[in-house]
Amino acid sequence: MKAPDFRYHRPTTVEEAIALLADAGDDGKVIAGGQSLVPIMNMRLAEPETLVDLTGVDELRTGSKTPSGACYGATTTHMMFEYELVPDVTRGLLPHAAAGIGYPAIRNRGTVGGSLAHSDSSAEWPTVMAALDAAVHVRSVRGARTVPVRELLLGFFTTALEPDELITEVEVPGLAPTARWGMYKMCRKPGEFAESLAVALGEAEPDGPWREVELWLGAAADRPLRLNSTEEAVRGEAFADLLPDRLVAPLAADLGQDLSAIDPTGRHALQLHAVTVQRALQSAERGDTA
Amino acid sequence: MNEITVHLKVNGRPHTLRTAGRTTLADLLRDQLGLTGLHLGCEQGVCGACTVIVDGLPMRACLTLAGACEDSDVVTVEGLDGPDADRLRDAFSRHGALQCGFCTPGMLLSAHHLVRARQPLDREEVGVALSGNICRCTGYNGIVSAVREALEGGIAAESAAVTTRNHEE
Repeated sequence: MKAPDFRYHRPTTVEEAIALLADAGDDGKVIAGGQSLVPIMNMRLAEPETLVDLTGVDELRTGSKTPSGACYGATTTHMMFEYELVPDVTRGLLPHAAAGIGYPAIRNRGTVGGSLAHSDSSAEWPTVMAALDAAVHVRSVRGARTVPVRELLLGFFTTALEPDELITEVEVPGLAPTARWGMYKMCRKPGEFAESLAVALGEAEPDGPWREVELWLGAAADRPLRLNSTEEAVRGEAFADLLPDRLVAPLAADLGQDLSAIDPTGRHALQLHAVTVQRALQSAERGDTA
Repeated sequence: MNEITVHLKVNGRPHTLRTAGRTTLADLLRDQLGLTGLHLGCEQGVCGACTVIVDGLPMRACLTLAGACEDSDVVTVEGLDGPDADRLRDAFSRHGALQCGFCTPGMLLSAHHLVRARQPLDREEVGVALSGNICRCTGYNGIVSAVREALEGGIAAESAAVTTRNHEE
């Protein structure tokens, strides 16, 4: 199918873009790479009256280091992270995550700001940026504000952004030199959306046990979830003991599921998440992704 | 209808086109320029049949708005030219790397980008690199073999060129 008709604007500055968005009101929509928005417009799940295209705004496609990490323009593409055309301050996590998004042709157009504004919890950036405690810089004609990604993502395709607000930058704190990270994406074919997506961040002893660990899970709920109970189960444990079976119970607690009442489909999903978390921890443990 | 004007270069030739704001690059190329080599399979970015090269990089023409291609340089399968394209065509022919042919233009453009990079890849790596192009005839064996052969041909040509240059010195 084809997208419905809309008014199309392609501004060249942020000022122009936010003015157009303010004029468009509730039926305006920002398009960056369009790799999620165009499909849902083609399927007529979204029918914006006005589209403000950011591909002509050069100032949004930059990346630079800051004292605490790095700041990436909203239309920095996944490919630019993958090939480190922008500085990486996460010891390889951002390039690793980017390389798993869709296919090369998708990564060449899709953008980090677009992915966060789209808020699909089975995509990479929402979970990875939430785990890193990144924040987005937002502009509108009414002013500017900064929103932590953890507060930006409210649910499926739902964010804390007002209709006239535009994400201009994503600010990512750098990882400490001693930090370890692990990430695992469960999907049947390279490039598909995740059936489960886990990110582990923390400090581990050289021979195994996690002193500190933070776990985030995507594709399990309408937004990325912090796994507090699972973290407790993992902390201080020797890696060899952390089999998926041991993670199922704390994971069920984190997901608010009752193990005694769960149906087979739910049990299968839980097992997938447990294996995904275990593999994320395993990849960090081996240090082959750090 | 909300019309826009787009200036872009397609296969080396400049065009100025009036079109609806909602027009994708795929529809612009197929309907207004008659370049029907690129195919529209899914219009959701999954099948890869509409892959074209925009400013040097493979992209989905079905997920790229025509308006976003202002001042861009677009190459379609009709404009795919040069030694790497020749190698790919020969290899696709030799390996029977197409059956119905619907996916072939997208396969060729994605593969051309890989071959140009001159990076040796095993079968598994070629498979992953082409995972965004679906062949519904499931003729992947021939396609992967053909792409690997073209890739090796490209790398061999580089070494031959270096040897010749060294020899001449």
